[in-house]
Amino acid sequence: MWSARTGWALLAPTLIVLAVTGLAPFFYVLYVSFFNWNVFSAQAGLSFAGLENYRRLVFDQAFLSSLWITIKFTFWAVLSEIVLGFLLAQLLTRDFPGKAFFRTIHALPLMVAPIAVGATWRLMMIPGFGPVPYYLQQWFGIEYNIGRYSGQAFWTTVLMDVWHWTPLVTLTLLAGLISLPREPFESAQVDGANALQTFRYLTLPMITPVMLTTLFIRIMDALRIVDEVWMLTGGGPGAATRYTGIHLWREVFPKTDYGYGSAMSMLLLYFTIVLSWLLFVAITSRGSRVT
Amino acid sequence: MNSSPSKFKSYLLPLLVLVLLLSACGGQAGQTPTVGQTTSPSPSPSVASPSPSAAPSASPSASPSPAQVQETPQATQGAASGQWWRDAAQKAGCVDQTIRGVTESTPPSKYAADVLAKQFEQATGIKVELETTSWDQMYDKAIKDMEAKTGIYDFVYTEQDIVYGYMARNFLVDLTKMMEDNPDLKAPTFDINKFTSFIDYFKDPKTGHLYGVPMESFIKTYVYRKDLFDNPEIRAAFKKQYGRDLEPAKNFEEYRQIAEFFTKWGKDHNMQLWGTTVQAASGHPASFYELVETIFPSWGIYNWGINTKTYKATVEHGGQMNSPKAKQALKFWLDMLKYAPPESTNSTWDEVAATFAAGRAAQGWIYGENVAWIATDPSRSKVVGKVGVALPPTAPGVMQDAKSGKGYIGYYDGGAFAIPYSSKKQKCALLWLEYIGQPSVQPEWAAKTARITLTETFDDPLVKEVDQKTGGYFTLMRKYGDLFAGAPPFPFHAQVREVVAPFIYKAISGQMSPDQALDEAAKAAEEEMQRLGYGK
Amino acid sequence: MSKERYGRKLRGNILVYLVWVLSTLLTLLPIYWLFLVSIRSRVQLFGTPSLMIHGVYTDNYASFFGDATFRRYLLNSIIVSTSNAILVAILAVMATYALSRWRLQGEQNIFFWTITNRMAPPAAFLLPLFLLFTRVFKFGGWDLFDTRLGLILFYTVFNLPFAIWLLKGIIDSIPIELDEAAMADGADVKTVLLRIIVPLAAPGIAISAIFSWVFSWNEYLLAATLTSVNARTITTGLAEFVTVTGTNWGEMAAVSMVALLPALIFLALVQRYIVMGLTFGAVKE
Repeated sequence: MWSARTGWALLAPTLIVLAVTGLAPFFYVLYVSFFNWNVFSAQAGLSFAGLENYRRLVFDQAFLSSLWITIKFTFWAVLSEIVLGFLLAQLLTRDFPGKAFFRTIHALPLMVAPIAVGATWRLMMIPGFGPVPYYLQQWFGIEYNIGRYSGQAFWTTVLMDVWHWTPLVTLTLLAGLISLPREPFESAQVDGANALQTFRYLTLPMITPVMLTTLFIRIMDALRIVDEVWMLTGGGPGAATRYTGIHLWREVFPKTDYGYGSAMSMLLLYFTIVLSWLLFVAITSRGSRVT
Repeated sequence: MNSSPSKFKSYLLPLLVLVLLLSACGGQAGQTPTVGQTTSPSPSPSVASPSPSAAPSASPSASPSPAQVQETPQATQGAASGQWWRDAAQKAGCVDQTIRGVTESTPPSKYAADVLAKQFEQATGIKVELETTSWDQMYDKAIKDMEAKTGIYDFVYTEQDIVYGYMARNFLVDLTKMMEDNPDLKAPTFDINKFTSFIDYFKDPKTGHLYGVPMESFIKTYVYRKDLFDNPEIRAAFKKQYGRDLEPAKNFEEYRQIAEFFTKWGKDHNMQLWGTTVQAASGHPASFYELVETIFPSWGIYNWGINTKTYKATVEHGGQMNSPKAKQALKFWLDMLKYAPPESTNSTWDEVAATFAAGRAAQGWIYGENVAWIATDPSRSKVVGKVGVALPPTAPGVMQDAKSGKGYIGYYDGGAFAIPYSSKKQKCALLWLEYIGQPSVQPEWAAKTARITLTETFDDPLVKEVDQKTGGYFTLMRKYGDLFAGAPPFPFHAQVREVVAPFIYKAISGQMSPDQALDEAAKAAEEEMQRLGYGK
Repeated sequence: MSKERYGRKLRGNILVYLVWVLSTLLTLLPIYWLFLVSIRSRVQLFGTPSLMIHGVYTDNYASFFGDATFRRYLLNSIIVSTSNAILVAILAVMATYALSRWRLQGEQNIFFWTITNRMAPPAAFLLPLFLLFTRVFKFGGWDLFDTRLGLILFYTVFNLPFAIWLLKGIIDSIPIELDEAAMADGADVKTVLLRIIVPLAAPGIAISAIFSWVFSWNEYLLAATLTSVNARTITTGLAEFVTVTGTNWGEMAAVSMVALLPALIFLALVQRYIVMGLTFGAVKE
């Protein structure tokens, strides 16, 4: 092939842009995490604190429970999205009239700004103004109030996330399914394999890399969710939907606790990286290089 | 091989170059005062009509009497000493400069951005770019700018509760000194003594120097449905049940009875009516604020229950946050939830106002800035003309405390524009601050957006008209304003709020008992204050 | 086709249709509600929530279109999103090709590192970015704060990794024999890229372009922090409706609906390339 220099030349622009916009802030946050810095503390500015922030974090009940519910949320939301998205993607590979129309409609939720998604769902769900609590009460006698019941609030955020992001999974898996080579399937059909067998021995293994990629992206994003949930519940009731994205945001901004917030960011990043590394290893060990 | 992807690509490249050029240029152009671009920097949705001061009744800002408010021509409005402004701007080298500010997107701020900024520009040649954004964002940007000294903003909205923090960090310019040092900049029509006592919150307690010019203030008070309270059938039923006449509540037992009565009435008559509002958003600081700004004081717990000398909150260390009285207050407030509409646990100040405006509550505590539109704007309120205001109910002894100055019965809210030290155009900003502090611009501003900062504005006919429509809100504010107080002088206001609020949220959602919530909250508050260096 | 098979196919199709109709309804319900809110006046918003249309109140839309500031926001959003999508697409194709075809030193780590940029919670980066934009990237009197260029550059942090990841799987599955065949014919890197890789990876490129575009379009927190009045985007404009005297849901909904439109158009445009991929996927000998 061509020289390694060409390879680097192709990669270089990406690396430069990412280094400038990604690395620099990262180092800054890392630096600040070792200091005490709250805009409104009696002693202004940064004061060195070593590992104090991290030590405090490890025992911080609020932080730990926030982390836990974020994991729970991510698990349920992403699982639902992958299953649903895959089913829908499979359906989209079939040929039926109106397919393009359905595909476009299905992708609509992706187009709505997260903050508007949160606002829309809030409008639907608030008792007194929204149709959902009203009709649930009228038709089923269910009292639905996400300001009051933690369980309901939690599952509503999961549902909202599924509504919002399943199209991403569908479209990505669809792109993957379409890019699969045709002849294995054709020869399988010739050999008389039925649908289930085709799926289990052909489709699934071949789609696994793309599936894992999608899983990975969704997990990363679900762990960081802020806008939608903040708009829908503000993290309530209590702290039932106060996911780490929101928790961190409130530490850094309204509370202006920059030092502690930076340490929290580092810890969250570390956690996400570890999780991702595991998945990453899974992908690359299975991943098809070049056929 | 199909060539249309490559056609698409070759099509794309010139487009890319064009777009990137456009955006790079656009970014550049944005920094210099733009010619031919919109001169209305504030994204106020109400600027749909060409002349902002002729706000049509569909405008979201509170316009009490559509088309009846006297529309004085823009150019002369407020330009009391027109020539002086132009001269002062020239002397300060400010003509054709642009000053930038950030504020919350509230009707008073929007009015300042849409109407006053234009008048100011005409009078002085100084352009004002006022960024209106959400409450959180506004704080965040202002604080970041001042902390990092990046000089982005020349004036910032400073709410009464955060001013102590800003002053403790020397973020703001001493306006008194600035006006002394620059007599050329001191406007003849600007007089500190004309302001209501609200201005005292923006003075340094030690020196008495001014650090911000108030631009809005209101009280959060007791609001009730006059039509329901006057209804003979209702009055009879109430008297029958409780043995006394139906009147606005003066103490908490009366409040509870009224709440109980109307909730039952609403159910019995199949109306969407409940007995009270409760601002109990279970994930938003608004609930925390109603508790500490409105409920606690009226029960006799002042300054959030924090001892302002020792910075302690727990009873053991001399604070009051988890005292029996505080616990009683919290229990009462949470108890009111059963007489409140279901959306209450989702309600911040917005929703509470909306709830009342939708006719879903017979009484409640509502911020003054909402009272005007609730009482007068039919496009947003279903209870126009049915609003009454009164002093909030209080526990025994609290009213005397307030009258003698030892305590207070409720919240006096508001904010000012202040100049950050990091600003590079302080003189120009000062002129702007003085401009909006003039008596001449106040009446229309007050009538449209229900805020008062100068004492004499109370007497203006426009304001009196709105006063009548709201059942006497301005009269109440004028007469009893000094029984209300702003936020306590805490430099750590936001920090303590962030640690205490989660416990309140838990109490609201039933995850913790009120007693436990306050015990833990007080402990957490003390820890945080200590960590910040207050209270050994 | 035998009757039996036809029957099965019909049943299969009906099932498919059922699923799609149901999913369409569920998908559209919140958006339909958003639409309803946007055509209701504030007073109408209270009271019994009805799913029917009772008259159209156009003021929410009128005030938006009449406001030059919002038109500017819309334009900013379009410029930022489109530029970013194009930039990301170009950089990603080049980078992914490099990562796929070469065994460059440390490429596994590079690959992984590009992703970590996307993992950090957004709140963490606001302060350092703010300082970067206002202090570091300063040239004379001009800095990166409140510029569209700043946003375009910054959004690549989130979009580029996703595009690279998506394309990697797809470009990997393009057989290297095709490249070698073209090379043997004397083609250089650029030709191989443009004539072989891009057409074959078109569905993936299309999708990553869509997502970059949509992400940039919908991003709120960073745009709100790093812009003021000039480079403000439509999404941050949405937040301005949350005022102290009542969230102006009607207008917010109207702006959200309008914000949906360009996104839909873009989607419709690029959709074709997903379809094209159907016929192209067959080119694998």
